[in-house]
Amino acid sequence: MTDAMIGLVALPLTGAVATLLLPRSATVVAIGAGLATTIAAALLLFGVANQGALHYEMGGWSTGLGITLRADGLSALLLMMTSLVALAASVYASAYFSAASERARFWPLWLLLWTSLNALFLSGDLFNLYVTLELLGLSAVALATLGGKRAAAEAALRYLLVGLLGSMLFLAGVSLIYAGYGTLDLATLPRVVEPGPIAWTALAMMTTGLLLKTALFPLHFWLPPAHASAPAPVSAVLSALVVKAAFYLVLRLWLDVFANVVTPVAANLLGLLGACAVLWGSWRALQAERLKLLAAWSTVAQLGYLFLFFPLLLALPPGPTRDLAAGGLVMLALTHGFAKAGLFLAIGVIQQRCGHDTIRDLDGTAQHLPATTFAIALAGVALIGLPPSGAFLGKWQLLAGAVETGQWLWLVVTATGSLLAAAYIFRVLGHAFGHQPYPNQPVTVAREEWPALLLTAMAALVLGLGGAPVWKLLEIGT
Amino acid sequence: MNTTNLLVFDGLLLFSIVGLAWASLATTDERRSVILFMAFGLVLAVAWGRLLAPDVALAEAAIGAGLSGALLLAAVRKQSPGSSHTHANPDRNYSESGAKVVLQWLVTLLCAALAGTLAWALLHALSSAPHDTLPRAISDNLVASGVSNPVTAVLLNFRAYDTLLELAVLLTAVLGIFSLGQTTPGYQPAGPVFDGLVRWLVPVLILTAGYLLWVGAHAPGGAFQAGATLAAAGVVLRLTGRSRIGLPDGFVLRIIMAAGVGVFLLVGLTLLLLGRPFLGYPPAWAGALILLIETAAMLSIAATLLLAFVGGQPQSTAVNAAANRQREENSRC
Repeated sequence: MTDAMIGLVALPLTGAVATLLLPRSATVVAIGAGLATTIAAALLLFGVANQGALHYEMGGWSTGLGITLRADGLSALLLMMTSLVALAASVYASAYFSAASERARFWPLWLLLWTSLNALFLSGDLFNLYVTLELLGLSAVALATLGGKRAAAEAALRYLLVGLLGSMLFLAGVSLIYAGYGTLDLATLPRVVEPGPIAWTALAMMTTGLLLKTALFPLHFWLPPAHASAPAPVSAVLSALVVKAAFYLVLRLWLDVFANVVTPVAANLLGLLGACAVLWGSWRALQAERLKLLAAWSTVAQLGYLFLFFPLLLALPPGPTRDLAAGGLVMLALTHGFAKAGLFLAIGVIQQRCGHDTIRDLDGTAQHLPATTFAIALAGVALIGLPPSGAFLGKWQLLAGAVETGQWLWLVVTATGSLLAAAYIFRVLGHAFGHQPYPNQPVTVAREEWPALLLTAMAALVLGLGGAPVWKLLEIGT
Repeated sequence: MNTTNLLVFDGLLLFSIVGLAWASLATTDERRSVILFMAFGLVLAVAWGRLLAPDVALAEAAIGAGLSGALLLAAVRKQSPGSSHTHANPDRNYSESGAKVVLQWLVTLLCAALAGTLAWALLHALSSAPHDTLPRAISDNLVASGVSNPVTAVLLNFRAYDTLLELAVLLTAVLGIFSLGQTTPGYQPAGPVFDGLVRWLVPVLILTAGYLLWVGAHAPGGAFQAGATLAAAGVVLRLTGRSRIGLPDGFVLRIIMAAGVGVFLLVGLTLLLLGRPFLGYPPAWAGALILLIETAAMLSIAATLLLAFVGGQPQSTAVNAAANRQREENSRC
C-alpha cells in the first residue's frame, strides 16, 4: 500500500515527462497516467481504511534525516477527490483543446500540477511542503496563461506575484520553526512546539502566506480575474483543488501541528474573515454578468464557510461533537470541490457551444444543452446546501456546532449566504430556460457533457447519501 | 587575521549590504537598479562565505547575482522601448505619484514590521539550546551517502525527493516561459576585443562547470552551481550576437529539458523495482548514481536558465530557414 504513495507522485510526474517528449500522443499518454494515478489514489484510500494511517520513508532514511510521506484519513480523502476531479477534467480537456500545439503545451503542465497536488497532500515535512507549494503555484500560473488573451496574462501575473509572496511568508515561518525546534517533521512538531514568540511568529507568517494562496477575504482580490480568464478545465481545477490545497495546510497547522499554540481569539478572527468572505463573495456572485465570474466569486464565498468552522472547533472540547463538526468541514470542502469543478466544466461547454458566457444572453440554453444545464442545477443544489447534497450535511454540522457553542453569529451568516447562493443560482437557471422545444437526446456532446454531469452528481447525490464513511475515515489520524 | 580586523571587515560588509539594497530600491533608473542588485548579490555571497557556508555563497554568486541579474537586464531591455508611455498624461501622473509615495511608505513600514518581528522571534530561537540532532545524524550517515560533502549528501541523497521536486519546478518554469513568451531579438555582433575575449571565456566556463559538478561530491559545488556556470557560457555567447548559443531545438531540446526530472525518476523507480526504497541508493553505488543524476540535472538547469534568458521557445532551424527564404523572396519582388 505504501507503493501507492510513491505512485501518486511518480505516475503523474512520469506522465508529464512522457507528454513532453511525445507531444503527438500526449492526450493518450496523459489520460493513461491520470487513470493509473486515480487507481493509486483508490488503493491508498482502501489501504488507509483497512490498515490505518500509512507512512513511507523516502530513500529509506529515518524520519528527520530524510523526508517521510504520510497519509491519514483526511489526506487520503483529499487525494481521492483530487484524482476524480482531475481525471474528469482531463477527459473534458481532451475535447476542449482543439489545436495540437495547445494540447502539447497543456498536458505536461497539467500533469505537473497534478503531481504537486498529490505531493502536497502526502508530504509530512515542512520544507518539502514549501517545495510542493512552489510547484503548485508555478504550474497553476502557467496553466492560467493558456487562455491566451491579454486579460489572462495580466491576471496570471498578479496570481504569480501573490503566490510568490505567499510562498516567501510560508518559507520564513518554516525557517523559524527549524531554527527554534530543530525538526521539520509534521508528526514530531506537535510534541515539541510550545506557545511563545517563535511559534506565534511562525504560525502567523505561514498562515498569512497560506491565506493569500487560499484567497480568504480580504486577500481574495486576485482570484476572480485569474479563475475567470483561465481555460475551463484549468479554472475547474484551480477553484476546486488548488485553493483547497492551501486550505488543507491551514487546517493541518491549526488543528495538528500548532494545536496547543492557537487561541480562540485567533480562531475567531479567521471565522470573522470567513463570514465576510461568505457575504461579500455571494453578493458579488449575484452581481456578476458572466458565468465564469459568478463561479469564481462563489468560490470566494464557499471558502469562507470552511473558515467558519475554526472558532467552533476551538470552542468544542475533544469528543464526538467536535469530530462531527470536523467531519462537516471536510464534507463541505469535498462537496465544493466536486460541485465547483463540475460547474466550471459545464460553463466551459456553454462558452464553447454558444460562443459566450453572458448570463443575460443564456436564453434557450436549457433547450440547447439540457444535460449541461442540469449539471449547473446539480452544482447549484450543492452550492446552496440543499439536501441531499454533501454540503447539506456539512452546513448542518456547522449550524449544530454554532448552536452547541452559542456562537449565533455564524448561524446568521450561513443562512444569509445560503439565501444569496440560491438567488445567484436561480438567476442563472431563470435565464437559461427559453421557449424552444427540447431535443430528443439530452446529452448532445458526450465527452464534453458527461464529466460535468458526473462531478456535480457526485457532489449533489453521492456524497450526501453515502457520506457516512467520510466521518469514519477522519477518525484515522496520523 | 585578528578579531578586530575581522570585526571591521564584517562591519563594512553589513554596511555595504544594506547600502546596496537601499540604493537598488531607491534608484528610479531600472538598469542601474538591476546592476546595483547584482553588486548586492556579490557582497551577499561574500557574507555567506564569512558565515562559513561556501555552498550557499557559490549559489548566491552564480544564480542570485549572475544569472538573475542577466535575466533582469534582459527584461529591462525587452520593455524599455514601450516605457515612454508613463509620461503621456502629466495630470494623471501627478495624482498617481502621490498615491505611489503613500504606497511606498506603507510597503516600507510593513516590511520593517515584518523584519522586526522576524528578528525578535529569531533571537528567541537562537537563545534557546542549539539543536544538534540533525547535524549529528547527517555526519553519522555521511559514509553511506556516497559523497563526502554534507551539502551534496543532503541535497542528492537524504533529501533527494526535495531536489526531484525542485527540478520539476524548473521544468514547470520553462514550460511556463514557452506558453507566454517569444524569443527576444538577438544582440548586435560584438566588437573584435569582446569577441576575442569570449573565444577564451566560453571554454573556460564549460570547463569550470564540469569541475564544479565533479568536485561537488567532496567540496562546495554541485549541479546547481555547475548548471548556472554552463548557462553563463550561453549568455555570453548570446551577448556577442550569436544566434546559436549551444541550445539544440525540437526533440533534443525537450530531452535536455526533461533530463533532470527524467533521470532522477528513472533511478528512483528502478531502485523501487529492485526491492529498495524509492530513491534509496545502495551505498556502494550511491556515488555513481548521484553523479549520473547531477549530470542530467546540470544540463536541465543550464537549459532552463538559458531559455529563460532567451525568453521563449527557440524557433527550429527549419522554420528559421523557411522564414529567411520567405524574406529573400519578398525582397526580390
